[in-house]
Amino acid sequence: MAVDTVHVPLEVYRFQPGTDPAPSFRRYELDLAPHTPVLSALLRIRAETDPTLSLRYSCRSAICGSCAMRINAKSRLACETPVGPEIERHGRIVVEPMANQPVVRDLVVDQSPFWRDYRSIEPHLKLDPYHPMPEGKPNPMTPAEVARFHDTPRCISCAACYSACPAVAADPAFPGPMALAKLYRFVVDPRDAAHQDRLVRIQTEGLWLCLRCHLCTEACPKDVRPSERIRDLKEMAIAAQGATERGSRHAVAFAENLRGAGLLNETKLVRQTFGVLGTLPQLPHGIKIWRKKPEVAHRPRPIEGREELEQIYRALGPEGGR
Amino acid sequence: MKLAYYPGCVAQESGRELDMATRFVCRALEIELVEFPKFSCCGSGFVDEANEVLNVAINARNLAIAEAAGLDLMTICSTCQGMLSLAKLRMTDPAVRAKVDGALRPIGITYRGSSRVTHLLRVLVEDVGLPAIRQKVRRPLAGLKVGAFYGCHLLRPSDELRWESPEEPHAFEDLLAALGAEPVLYRGRVLCCGFPVQFVKPETAGRIAGHQILDARQHGAQAMATPCPLCHISLDAYQAPAAKLVGQPLDMPVFHLPQLVGLALGATPEELGLSRHLVPTEPVLARVPPAAR
Repeated sequence: MAVDTVHVPLEVYRFQPGTDPAPSFRRYELDLAPHTPVLSALLRIRAETDPTLSLRYSCRSAICGSCAMRINAKSRLACETPVGPEIERHGRIVVEPMANQPVVRDLVVDQSPFWRDYRSIEPHLKLDPYHPMPEGKPNPMTPAEVARFHDTPRCISCAACYSACPAVAADPAFPGPMALAKLYRFVVDPRDAAHQDRLVRIQTEGLWLCLRCHLCTEACPKDVRPSERIRDLKEMAIAAQGATERGSRHAVAFAENLRGAGLLNETKLVRQTFGVLGTLPQLPHGIKIWRKKPEVAHRPRPIEGREELEQIYRALGPEGGR
Repeated sequence: MKLAYYPGCVAQESGRELDMATRFVCRALEIELVEFPKFSCCGSGFVDEANEVLNVAINARNLAIAEAAGLDLMTICSTCQGMLSLAKLRMTDPAVRAKVDGALRPIGITYRGSSRVTHLLRVLVEDVGLPAIRQKVRRPLAGLKVGAFYGCHLLRPSDELRWESPEEPHAFEDLLAALGAEPVLYRGRVLCCGFPVQFVKPETAGRIAGHQILDARQHGAQAMATPCPLCHISLDAYQAPAAKLVGQPLDMPVFHLPQLVGLALGATPEELGLSRHLVPTEPVLARVPPAAR
């Protein structure tokens, strides 16, 4: 059965550091069936037009995670992105290497930062030396224990989430969505003996830099939903250790603040999170804001039915929700 | 049209200009706002980090208040919109529902999930409709190049919120065009403003906000507009520290969504609280021709 083709203009990022003065885009035009993956289009360019085009790929079946790149600004796998819908939406396909990792050549990036951040969470089981796994026998889990993993074992380490993450871009202290989703996977693993240590460590090592923008969850080709597991980690870290860091202090302070009047008391929140001394550096700019918006210093009028809210807090936390 | 008005915390305090503008626009477009002094804060994503079930319960209570009046609920904040929508979704999980119902029952609150959660932007585009708005424009924002800035929680997680494409939304740009303005497309319009880490690491938050403002400017924006008062805090109230962090002078007026609608519908700057911004809006307004008499 013959399929109608669409005209596909591709603009592909080209750069060879050390040789090219600056990155540039080269335009290629192909006629392709709409269901053709972007990866197949790139391989055809390489085979028929330009053998110097560099890219990384392997399985072509969304399993190996090698061909992640930015296609029309979205980080995703080239092997499972068909050209048709892209052309419909954008009229062209702009292909760039992943972000947040330096370019080696064209679409190939140096993934060292990604793997370094992954290693930082110690992605292996830490068994309790006093309770070794039974040798040569499986160590079964109950269905309820397996369910706690959610979809984290499906991760193929493609780094699309790392490329999409604005926290990774803005702050090298943030280990990235995949590392944290994997960390979650070890924290809930009943065979792992280091839950507590892992939660304590990650509080100071970037957990609270997540922006909960959900761009990782949008980018993930396997629906691992890293942003939601990072949220789970935050709640578990508070439960394990209390609010010891500025991020956890802020989350708990917010919950307590809201308990007061039912509405946010903005100035009090700053004090609760930063402490009296920590508030001082905020003051000069705070005064500028206050001049325009004096209500920042107001105490909000309590909502009606505040006692209902109080009952909800008594039933569900913040101290004993789970 | 009659809606339960959920103003959220910021619009009742430091972002009062957003509330003023919302009321002007709704009056002009005959949207009746029903107020409920019982509404509490949505938790702003922070309570969710501390205790997910508590966060769902707080918002189930808010939703139940609107339901009891038989009204759909309208937010004016991307974050409130996200929190209330996600609470409604989490309440479809029987385990969460049981815990939350268990906390609401003793205080006589029944949650049914019958009210729609919508945002002012959606009401304007989907319910009022752009043709009706176009008809009421008295001062077209002619020639004003505006970069819309959506706010994460209006768009993502997209499979749960099920509204516009999280990559290429266009409702806001369509609205801006209906007001006579020229929408500017830039990648940062669907990205984060940095607000969630404003209290964790202000310098990281500032760098993120600064980059989005620079991105909008590089694409020709003379002003930005946002449907989220938290984005407004990052982009306007903290623009000066952001400029220092990105090492470039920034001078980008940032409007709340209903302020631009209000201007086009003939409101005065006073009625929209424009003098309450940290970055002055006058230079931009001077470009817009006055309202036709």
